[in-house]
Amino acid sequence: MSASVAEAIWLGLALYVGIGLVAGLGTVMFGLGRLTAADVPVRVRLLILPGLAALWPFVLARLAGLGAPEDRA
Amino acid sequence: MAAGYSLVGWNGFKRAYDGVMLAGLAVFFAAHLGAGWMSAPAGQQPSEIQMLIRASGAAAFSLLTIILCLGPLARLTPRALPLVYNRRHLGVACFLVALLHGGLVVLWYHGFSEMNAFVSLLVSNPRYDSFGGFPFESLGVAALLILFLMAATSHDFWNTVLGPRFWKGLHMGVYAAYGLLVAHVMLGAAQGEAGFAAAALAGVSALLVSGLHIAAGQREAARDRAAAAEAEGWLDAGPAQEIPDGRAVILTPPEGERIAVFREGAKIYAVANACRHQGGPLGEGRILDGCIVCPWHGYQYRPEDGCSPPPFTEKVATFRTRIREGRVLVHRLAQPPGTELAPTLIPEVVS
Repeated sequence: MSASVAEAIWLGLALYVGIGLVAGLGTVMFGLGRLTAADVPVRVRLLILPGLAALWPFVLARLAGLGAPEDRA
Repeated sequence: MAAGYSLVGWNGFKRAYDGVMLAGLAVFFAAHLGAGWMSAPAGQQPSEIQMLIRASGAAAFSLLTIILCLGPLARLTPRALPLVYNRRHLGVACFLVALLHGGLVVLWYHGFSEMNAFVSLLVSNPRYDSFGGFPFESLGVAALLILFLMAATSHDFWNTVLGPRFWKGLHMGVYAAYGLLVAHVMLGAAQGEAGFAAAALAGVSALLVSGLHIAAGQREAARDRAAAAEAEGWLDAGPAQEIPDGRAVILTPPEGERIAVFREGAKIYAVANACRHQGGPLGEGRILDGCIVCPWHGYQYRPEDGCSPPPFTEKVATFRTRIREGRVLVHRLAQPPGTELAPTLIPEVVS
């Protein structure tokens, strides 16, 4: 692997994580009510932040009303 | 879902589970570091950081092996079930130990590079087109990313938000992570970065995980087949070859009277177990001169139709039989007493 490819991977990953952190923080502060009706305490919000940052495209799609889990109770 | 989430739904069992896990990790680290220090030739001991890198890598791999063994173990023996209940904490611990390993590797081997440490990690070995020389570090990075994704989505919140099916599918990625880690260790050993013992242990661990999954899968498949047959009204009387020639095994259906399943050479018959005379257990008798003989008073019945030979007129019910994968199945519905049924032939004995 050349250094340019590796740098592109690194930048892509950093960009993805950066967007994810912003989207995750926004969701944790303002959007959780649209994902679940259950009460989510602050400590749990911090715990799920990494997941929100990692799965931000999915989370944004859900916030936009797309892709509700088909087998959710 | 409950009205609200909690960080961890602690109970006594979870506390004990986590306590044992942390104690086990501490003992593992101490033993690994101590053994590594003592086994190295005098004056050639690796640095503390290098020893910690090896210990954390071995600990993460061992934890993941244990995690993957728990599922099939619980299917093989219910005694292992409690170990599965708190498996998520093991998974998160595994990720944190793996993160320690990866972080130390990046800092120690690439932290002093002029380029970005992560970029340095990816380009330090450019042999991506080689099999034996493939950069094993990249496989570790990929496995770490998968472990992160699973640890980050391990809370119940994610099970609810993603839906159980999607969540389970996502967490099946653990097998991909394990495969990547086995390759990571094997290639590392091949390239002189990990010892032969580490590669051998990784191979044995992979065999153990595979073997347990195959054994559990076979057990479940047999159960599924038996359950499917039972759902259709067929009862499992066991392997055909285990019925002694001229004798019977007695089957007890969930409801209704007992059934005597006889073998005569290659032929299998099933009749009601109770003799028409005084209810003697026909299944404890034997076939003599082509007739089932009641052990109590010698009443006789033909196995094919349950009728006593002339001039006697007693009749017992008969049952349909068949053989699947060497096992005798008997249909639980009794035929009217005296109904003639062709015997089922045991293929192995016939041939």
